[in-house]
Amino acid sequence: MMSIYLFWRQPSQMVDKKRMKTSDFRWLLSKFVLLYLMVQVTGALRDLKCTTNNLKVWDCSWKAGFESVIDEVCIEDRSYSCHQVEKTNIKIPALPPGDHVMTVKSSHSPANSLSKFILNEKNVSFIPDTPEILSFSADFPTSTLSLEWNDKGSAFPYHVNVTWEIKILRTERRELIKLETYNTNLNGKDRVHQWSWASDLPLECATHYVSIRCYIDYLHFSGHKEWSDWSQMKKIPWSPNSQTKVFPQDKVVLVGSDIIFCCISQSKVLVAQIGSTLCPLIHLDEKNVAIKIRNISVSENSGTNVIFTTDDNVYGTVIFAGYPPDIPQKLNCETHDLKEIVCTWNPGRPTGLVGPRNTNYTLFESFSRKYVTFKRAETFINESYQLFFQILPDQEIYNFTLHAQNPLGKSESAQLVNIMERVSPHTPTSLKVKDINSTAVILSWHLPGNFAQINLLCQIEINKANSKQELQNATIKGAKNADYLIDVNKLNPYTKYTFRIRCSAETFWKWSKWSNAKQHLTKEAIPSKGPDIWREWSSDGRNLVIYWKPLSINDANGKILSYNVSCSSHEETQFLSEVLDPQHKAELPLSKRDCIISVVAKNSAGSSPPSKIPTIEIPNDDLKVEEVVGIGKKILLSWHHNPNMTCDYVIKWCNSSRSEHCLMDWKKVSSNSTETIIESDQFRSGIRYHFFLYGCRNQGYQLLRSIIGYIEELAPIVAPNFTVEDTSSDSILVKWEDIPVEELRGFLRGYLFYFQKGEKDTSKMRGLEPGRSDIKIKNITDISQKTLRIADLQGKTSYRLVLQAYTDGGVGPKKSMFVVTKENSVGLIIAILIPVAVAVIVGVVTSILCYRKREWIKETFYPDIPNPENCKALQFQKSVCEGSNALKTLEMNPCTPNNVEVLETRAAPKIEDTEIISPVAERPEEGSNTEPENHVVVSYCPPIIEEEIPNPVVDEAGGTSQVIYIDVQSMYQPQAKPEEEQDIDPVVGPGYKPQMRLPINSTLEETAAEDDIDKTAGYRPQANVNTWNLVSPDSPRSTDSNSEVVSFGSPCSINSRQFLIPPKDEDSPKSNGAGWSFTNFFQNKPND
Amino acid sequence: PAPICFLGLLLPPLNPAAPISPAEPISQAYSLALYMQKNTSTLLQTYLQYQGSPFSDPGFSAPELQLSSLPPAAVSFKTWHALEDGERLNRAQGAFLALTQHLQLVGDDQNDLNPGSPILLAQLGAARLRAQGLLGNMAAIMAALGLPVPPEEDTLGVVPFGASAFERKCRGYVVTREYGHWTDRAVRDLALLKAKYPA
Repeated sequence: MMSIYLFWRQPSQMVDKKRMKTSDFRWLLSKFVLLYLMVQVTGALRDLKCTTNNLKVWDCSWKAGFESVIDEVCIEDRSYSCHQVEKTNIKIPALPPGDHVMTVKSSHSPANSLSKFILNEKNVSFIPDTPEILSFSADFPTSTLSLEWNDKGSAFPYHVNVTWEIKILRTERRELIKLETYNTNLNGKDRVHQWSWASDLPLECATHYVSIRCYIDYLHFSGHKEWSDWSQMKKIPWSPNSQTKVFPQDKVVLVGSDIIFCCISQSKVLVAQIGSTLCPLIHLDEKNVAIKIRNISVSENSGTNVIFTTDDNVYGTVIFAGYPPDIPQKLNCETHDLKEIVCTWNPGRPTGLVGPRNTNYTLFESFSRKYVTFKRAETFINESYQLFFQILPDQEIYNFTLHAQNPLGKSESAQLVNIMERVSPHTPTSLKVKDINSTAVILSWHLPGNFAQINLLCQIEINKANSKQELQNATIKGAKNADYLIDVNKLNPYTKYTFRIRCSAETFWKWSKWSNAKQHLTKEAIPSKGPDIWREWSSDGRNLVIYWKPLSINDANGKILSYNVSCSSHEETQFLSEVLDPQHKAELPLSKRDCIISVVAKNSAGSSPPSKIPTIEIPNDDLKVEEVVGIGKKILLSWHHNPNMTCDYVIKWCNSSRSEHCLMDWKKVSSNSTETIIESDQFRSGIRYHFFLYGCRNQGYQLLRSIIGYIEELAPIVAPNFTVEDTSSDSILVKWEDIPVEELRGFLRGYLFYFQKGEKDTSKMRGLEPGRSDIKIKNITDISQKTLRIADLQGKTSYRLVLQAYTDGGVGPKKSMFVVTKENSVGLIIAILIPVAVAVIVGVVTSILCYRKREWIKETFYPDIPNPENCKALQFQKSVCEGSNALKTLEMNPCTPNNVEVLETRAAPKIEDTEIISPVAERPEEGSNTEPENHVVVSYCPPIIEEEIPNPVVDEAGGTSQVIYIDVQSMYQPQAKPEEEQDIDPVVGPGYKPQMRLPINSTLEETAAEDDIDKTAGYRPQANVNTWNLVSPDSPRSTDSNSEVVSFGSPCSINSRQFLIPPKDEDSPKSNGAGWSFTNFFQNKPND
Repeated sequence: PAPICFLGLLLPPLNPAAPISPAEPISQAYSLALYMQKNTSTLLQTYLQYQGSPFSDPGFSAPELQLSSLPPAAVSFKTWHALEDGERLNRAQGAFLALTQHLQLVGDDQNDLNPGSPILLAQLGAARLRAQGLLGNMAAIMAALGLPVPPEEDTLGVVPFGASAFERKCRGYVVTREYGHWTDRAVRDLALLKAKYPA
């Protein structure tokens, strides 16, 4: 079943109220109603579609389901209208807004149907006509494409916005490379629009296509607005016939830009490169290729080469990458001569472009509308360009604009100048100097330029030797290429000056350069004053010596040729002498003592005013010599004002060591001053000067004061010579001499006198430090004192005396002398007598005491001596004498019997023959009256110490042994000092046991002392002897302690002084230790 | 000093003297050719150095570049050897005539491309003067040998003034290169003549 529902909708009220009010667009009102068109087709008719291309006519079309002929189409409008149609579309005038029912009657359709559509503007599509391209052209050198088309705006008699879309396609492949949107509007007339676009790819290398469409944005149309169709494509073909193969050619581009090069080639391009850098190929149509260079860098002068290499050829182009001209910097326009203006500027950043691509400069003056162009051939100075512009008459203000242009752009710089204020004259030339008089000259110089309209300001530099340079400004009326003159005054006569000059305009802009310097010596003038004079009478008083000082350069005013000396008195003036210049004194015999000497200096210009001085010297008896010391190389003299002195004061001075009439220099001081400072380069430290102050009265000069002084005091350079006048046992009288003035070098303030005990050669010579206690110092401040007595000395003692002088400048060198005081006889006698008396008294007292206590002394120091008969030492005498030989028999021959004398025995000591115990009995006949316990065997062999033993005793002893006791106390000492025992013979009576004998004597000992025996055959340390080992009863030896055979451990020496008395029991342990070391030491002795 | 020397060498042909012995002009020309030979590679190197990469790259060579207006110096030895003296001199004369004109052209080109390079411009100018000097010497030889001196002709013809910078650079390269080749060939030519006409 087919049914059509047609219904209206009320127009929506989206109406522009304003427009509704305007009657012009009233007809549009109806179209502002939103319509909704719903077409429901039943039967054959469906898809009603309405479009418009000009908003005036709607073109509605529909589809018929089958072959049908539509008879009538009726539209319900304000008036119902029907149209007979034969096609499936109908053009109807645009309907007002709102729904309209369109009835389509199909008479031939089977159903004879009646289709109803609702028409509404909302359902109408607005599709503009396809634009038509009028032209599409290319500008190959600039690679620019231009497009022209007509907007056909006359179709829309009202203002409508239009958007155009233009697309550019490239190569046969139609690659889209540009889609541009271009907005315009239509205003009721046909208009031709133009659009151009610069292609990055040179147009020669590929075909370029263009196409365009549009979109009309008509706001009051409520239907669909759609883009028009794309226009027909237009193309620009690449030019295969062009001779050139590579594009672009010789192009100038901005540094940093991107650029595409292409190459048209019939053969395959193998490589493309810019400079020496290879580039990837972009393939275009056929065998054409392109390369793209990004961010190109600045080219060298001849440009950057781009080369395409094919199989058989090379194609290339050159690109010039540079910069547009910088703004001309430091543009400055001025004139040197008011004839032409010089404009200079700095081009700023280099453009990197040369030759025809270089920057062109044009200087344009806007008032006169004249310009000058910079030609490259023109030289430029210091990278600064310049252009000359002729000054125009009657024009002072110039407005310059400097245009800079190169292929990449242009820039400009402007300056407005009043040329009268921009005058920088040329350097003045031909500077000349002419004398006017001794203090003035005329300078003349030449200055090119037309300065007639202005005043010139010139500056003269005046240089004088040893003087500050002086600048004088002068304003001069300008002239045309003229010589200029100027006076320079206030110069010094006879002075060498150097002049220079520079000029500017009075309205100052810049100084010219200084002209060349010109030297000039001004003329001489008469000396401005007479010389400073002084006079001295010669020593014989007959001649007067006149001194004068040469005039200073400023006063001389020229070269002084001579001095005239004359003498004038009341009645006449007498010319005395003419002295040529280098001499500055005259000695003249003076007939008249009373006259006034006058001296004039002469140069070529004339004579100076005379300097006068009276010859008379007024005596002064009231004179005393004063002293003065300078301060800082100067000497200050002052005096009381003396109203009698009317002319002036004169201080003259000389070196005091010179003769009385010496004169070093003088100084004049005005009569009203009371002090002066005297300075001189001749003053030296440490030299004594004599100053004389003269006052001038009418008649002559009077010596007022006589002063000696030093500029600076120094220490004396010598010590005073001194001698010793007198010496006693306790005092010395010293006398010294004065130091000469030259060596004193200051005012003597005193002497320092040192004395100390000391020999000439002792180390005390070294110094005289004041702090040392043994040095005594006397400071003699009375400089008139020339002697000194030093008291309280020791007799017969060497003293060192030192004397030095001192001034305020320091202490002088030392002079020293050695003096020995005389002997004090009384003291010596006392010194001898007292010790002698003391010694006698002590001796007497000691004798008495010894006598009184002799028994006790005897007991203490001389105890009984045991019987030497028990001494077994005799048995070893032989072995001892033979050294280490183990002899068992005692041979008598080499031995000389010794005697043992027993001075005293307490228990009837009896010397027995010891042969029972000792087979080597020295003396069998000797008495063996001593008991075995007390046996002391003393054997001396050989008796080297006979001088210690009283010989008579030995002789008398005959058959008895004698023991001589000597100085027992000293005998004990060696035990404490074993080394002293080295000289003592090994055989010492008591306790000594040669090892040979021990096995016989004691078998027990043999085992115990076996090691010892092995070590030292023939010697047995006393330690093994029982008598020395009483403290150790457990030892094997202790068993023999009571045996009959006891030998005392005391070492036995052949010439021994050893004690032969056994030590006390309580001493034995101590002795034991000592014995060990002793014997051990001694044991090795024979082996040495 | 070199230009002065050439001026001296230019004198003989200008002097309309009677036929003289060919030995002297041959010797003079030979000396000049030898002197020129010493400087040709310097000229080529200097020229290339100012043209930028790849011309200035070490070892640059593009033998495929030729100029139609400039006869190539390359010739087969057999052909060269078989040439008559007059023909050989004629060819050299023609080549150096073309070279002088081309060197002038290259000098102008470089004045645009490298205006700030007096060294290059001076060398191009010097080369042109030498070529002219050699031309004069050859004319003297031909006169001495009784050969007809060919008239000076415009070998350059219509110059493409609108040549691109690249074309100018290449043109200059070919000219300076061929200048060297032709100088080498002239040395050979004159050596041959010198042997034929000893002093």
